[in-house]
Amino acid sequence: MTDSENIFQLKDLRRTYIVGSEKVHALDGIDLTITNREFIAVIGTSGSGKSTLMNMLGFMDSPTSGQMEFEDKDVTGIDGSGRARLRANRIGFVFQSFNLLPRLNVLDNVLLPLSYSTKKFNNHHDLGLEALERVGMTHRASHTPNQLSGGERQRVAIARSLINNPRLILADEPTGNLDSKNRGRIMELFASLMSEGITLALVTHDDAVADYAQRKIRMEDGRIIEDSKS
Amino acid sequence: MNPVGDIVTGINNGMREIWANKVRSVLSMSGIILGVAALVSMVGIVQGMLSTMRESFEQSGGVLKLEVHPKDAPESQQHIAGISPSMTWRDYIAIKKAIPLAKYTTPIVDMRWSRFVAQGRREGAMIDGVTPEHNNIETREIEYGRFIADIDIRQKSPVIVIGTHLRDELFPELQSAVGQKMRMQGQVYTIVGQFVEEQSLPGQKRRWNIENRKNYMPATTAMSRFQGDDKVNEIHIIAYQREDLPDLINQIENTLTRTHRGINDFEIRTQEDQLAELKKLENSFIYSLGGIAGISLIVGGIGIMNVMLASVSERIREIGVRKAIGARSYDIFIQFLFESIVTSVLGGIVGLAVSVGLLSIAQNLIPEGQAISIFPISAMFYGFLFSSTIGFISGIYPAMRAARLDPIDALRYE
Ligand SMILES: Nc1ncnc2c1ncn2[C@@H]1O[C@H](COP(=O)(O)OP(=O)(O)OP(=O)(O)O)[C@@H](O)[C@H]1O
Ligand SMILES: [Mg+2]
Repeated sequence: MTDSENIFQLKDLRRTYIVGSEKVHALDGIDLTITNREFIAVIGTSGSGKSTLMNMLGFMDSPTSGQMEFEDKDVTGIDGSGRARLRANRIGFVFQSFNLLPRLNVLDNVLLPLSYSTKKFNNHHDLGLEALERVGMTHRASHTPNQLSGGERQRVAIARSLINNPRLILADEPTGNLDSKNRGRIMELFASLMSEGITLALVTHDDAVADYAQRKIRMEDGRIIEDSKS
Repeated sequence: MNPVGDIVTGINNGMREIWANKVRSVLSMSGIILGVAALVSMVGIVQGMLSTMRESFEQSGGVLKLEVHPKDAPESQQHIAGISPSMTWRDYIAIKKAIPLAKYTTPIVDMRWSRFVAQGRREGAMIDGVTPEHNNIETREIEYGRFIADIDIRQKSPVIVIGTHLRDELFPELQSAVGQKMRMQGQVYTIVGQFVEEQSLPGQKRRWNIENRKNYMPATTAMSRFQGDDKVNEIHIIAYQREDLPDLINQIENTLTRTHRGINDFEIRTQEDQLAELKKLENSFIYSLGGIAGISLIVGGIGIMNVMLASVSERIREIGVRKAIGARSYDIFIQFLFESIVTSVLGGIVGLAVSVGLLSIAQNLIPEGQAISIFPISAMFYGFLFSSTIGFISGIYPAMRAARLDPIDALRYE
């Protein structure tokens, strides 16, 4: 299967929460196209809808209205297990708080997505080591997460997001819990992974982080108010 | 994604989780452990008892045996009851000669408790006067010598067949007392046979057995030497098959009514009542044990459910992560369900081990005359089956709670 150039096409996408008698328009008409090998930074004030957008792109949530195409297929109304399938096979997640499973060692954490993927992978162990190699964490393969520093944990989490060869990696404030030195290292890592051919969308409050991206999307009140490429 | 692989993964993950929370896992298993251990060890004890009872029932003729006992004539015949000779040797002969449906027949001349003397030792024991077929009705193996023979009946021989109890008491230095002489009420008897000692069955031990205290002499000897008349206390008959019993009873009734000159001063007892009694006892044990076991396993199941629910709320974030990286609700459901099943199956296995231990200890503690089954296989099977089912059932609700969690909420959960 050759990957289409378009990853996402969102048209007038809305997500409305009803809290009591009030409606919260977390996404209020989003039009957005994401293509192969883009590096996107989503910025904006708190509550502007960045995380909601990431959840939508990560098939964690369904839109209230609007249309959503993924790899040129309409995915607006797909059900829970269909979305789980897409998450397992096509999406990689990196979280602000790393979210490694404390009971599994580093390698097993990295391999975890494979147990939910429907793609066939041959040598799991080698794949895991390869992913750890890409983030420079091979030497920690048998450690447990709480034996690692924050920056190291985030590297492992990035390896985990790479393991199933996703079409798109989503990272919601991946550097939010890191000090400035580690923030720089993680962004360097992302930049080098970009050159290896991944597509990445990340949310950040940090202009220095956003500067690594070639495309910046600024959000406000659930809308995209600025979309610039450098 | 193949089913076998999924199960192996499920078991592995479950084990890992149990291992990671050892104390909690043991606590959550404890109910199942106790339930299974209690069930299996109680069944083991009861089963041993019941099998001893059933075995002695079978050995004394089983359900094919009929017993004729004397009884008082009915009110309407009281005034003429004297014309009946009551139960005598002639009744036995009549049944034996006239009733082909009777496979084996013996009279019982009950001499009750008698005192035996030999080599300056004395010991009391039971002794019955019987005919050779007695040993076809109550099948006891002769270890040394022989049982009473036809010639003993004809010649009223002063011979006796003993159980190992008398040998132990009177001839403790001998393995076989055959050929020895004993005195009883001033008369000398020769021991011609000795029964095999009633031994333990597999899984049973130290059976103090009343069978070893039974001794026999020819019925004719008993009648002529001690009674001075030809009265017999009982007549035992064994049928060829169960279907014959109604006809056989009828024929015995007709024959004895004739020999008793129409006086109904005897009764024919079947073993059906005894069998029914035995069955009733078995059933009441099964139901009460089943009830106790059921309750304790349900309590164990509630314990597991409780711990599983706690485990789910403790691992909400983990569930969120797993869902984010592609787990379907079904995968999460299976994961937690397996954890519950593995917990309770492990509990069941430990419970089985505990029960074997308890039964081995019980075997050395129980009073003599009891028997125990150390490996009550069917109870073990059911205990195991039941505990895994309980694990399955009590895992469903927590697993559903876990599976239903929304991934976004779960990841946001602190
Ligand atoms: N489950 C929910 N129920 C109700 N309202 C929600 C829910 N999730 C988000 N919202 C609302 O939607 C809006 C957008 O939230 P979102 O989390 O996307 O903001 P954000 O841009 O990620 O903010 P931050 O920078 O603080 O993370 C907010 O007003 C928020 O209160
Ligand atoms: Mg956010």
